[in-house]
Amino acid sequence: MNALILTGSPKGRKSASFSLASRLAEGLRENDVSAREEPVHAGLRTEEGTRRMLDAVDGSDLVVLVFPLYVDSLPAPLTRLLELVAERRTRVSSPGIPRLAAIVQCGFPESRQCDTAVGICRLFAERTGMRWAGSLAMGMGGSIGEDIRRLPGGGKNILDALKMAAESLAMGGAIPVEATTLFSRPLMPLWLYTLIGNLGWRMQLRKNKSRRPLTYRPYSQG
Amino acid sequence: MKALILDGSREGDSLTPVAVLGTTSALAERVETVALFKLRDLAIAPCAGCFGCWTRTPGECVIEDDARDVLRSYVGSDIVTYVTPVTFGGYSFQLKKLLDRIILSVLDPRFTTVGGEVHHLLRYRRYPRTIGLGTLPSPDPEAERLFARLVARNGLNIHQTVESIVLVGVADPESARRSAEKLLDRAGVPA
Repeated sequence: MNALILTGSPKGRKSASFSLASRLAEGLRENDVSAREEPVHAGLRTEEGTRRMLDAVDGSDLVVLVFPLYVDSLPAPLTRLLELVAERRTRVSSPGIPRLAAIVQCGFPESRQCDTAVGICRLFAERTGMRWAGSLAMGMGGSIGEDIRRLPGGGKNILDALKMAAESLAMGGAIPVEATTLFSRPLMPLWLYTLIGNLGWRMQLRKNKSRRPLTYRPYSQG
Repeated sequence: MKALILDGSREGDSLTPVAVLGTTSALAERVETVALFKLRDLAIAPCAGCFGCWTRTPGECVIEDDARDVLRSYVGSDIVTYVTPVTFGGYSFQLKKLLDRIILSVLDPRFTTVGGEVHHLLRYRRYPRTIGLGTLPSPDPEAERLFARLVARNGLNIHQTVESIVLVGVADPESARRSAEKLLDRAGVPA
């Protein structure tokens, strides 16, 4: 089985999405799946990269989109890739029927804020003749960083959910509901996450030696 | 009053330009000025995900391109209309690319609660009333529902209730204008 994991974060290897995608790829490989990872932003920068990704989608039995939530849906370059895949699949006489799954993380505490993005991925699968294979969605994605194991509790829920998802996807199944539930569990209490977040922005501003306050209004009619 | 139209049409898309014409005509009867940005003609890079608009140059993206002109116009408008082909229930790449670049800039990164869930504080005291107008070549109730939900969720980001409509197979500007009129009425834009 060939799996293609498309990472939709512009931050590439330094992103939470890359961490999640890498762990899923490892899990798939442990289950004898040939898993290939492709960063979408970088791929779309050239015609060759774009063609390579589209060819890879055509040649895959399983496609997994891994991305951060941007303004309640997919980051724009991933949207572009979906448009291109859809166009190509209408031109090809008998495109394959790969399965499509999605892994979404957002910076808000509530995993349900990813629901619209998951809905878009599912509808894309249905309208382009792919088979929907489920999703994992989590809030508090801002705390993942580059290494999931550094999370409180060693990121056990996330790692277990990814393992369960990989095992099921490798067997030709969908992501199990148990994995979706486990993945969506909050990493810490809501009050703590928002406190850390609010302090974190101010600390970043100071670290970057910004001349503007956090509340600056550059186009200040309002 | 000033209105802004964000035209998210794709190359070869025949329906969204008609919706843009109809919306422009409907808005012109209610506001003093209507500004239109055809997004695919502008040089706008995708968001780099650096959060520089919050922690380096608060209120402004660190990338200097045409998105800054759109942001300036957005902040100075009373009404902003997203016009886009409905893309699997979402926006076109062109509109999404712009929104990824400007929405964080108009928010204060600190958290607050809106509608029972966590969102960000507002950077500005006032925001344009947002309206979503999607186009589809044929009926697709699921895509239409998803589009309405996405537009509504985008409204929560700026602490607003947002109205939207999907024009299905509307190919003449007069029908598009009438639909846009209804949408403006629903959104409470005075005639």
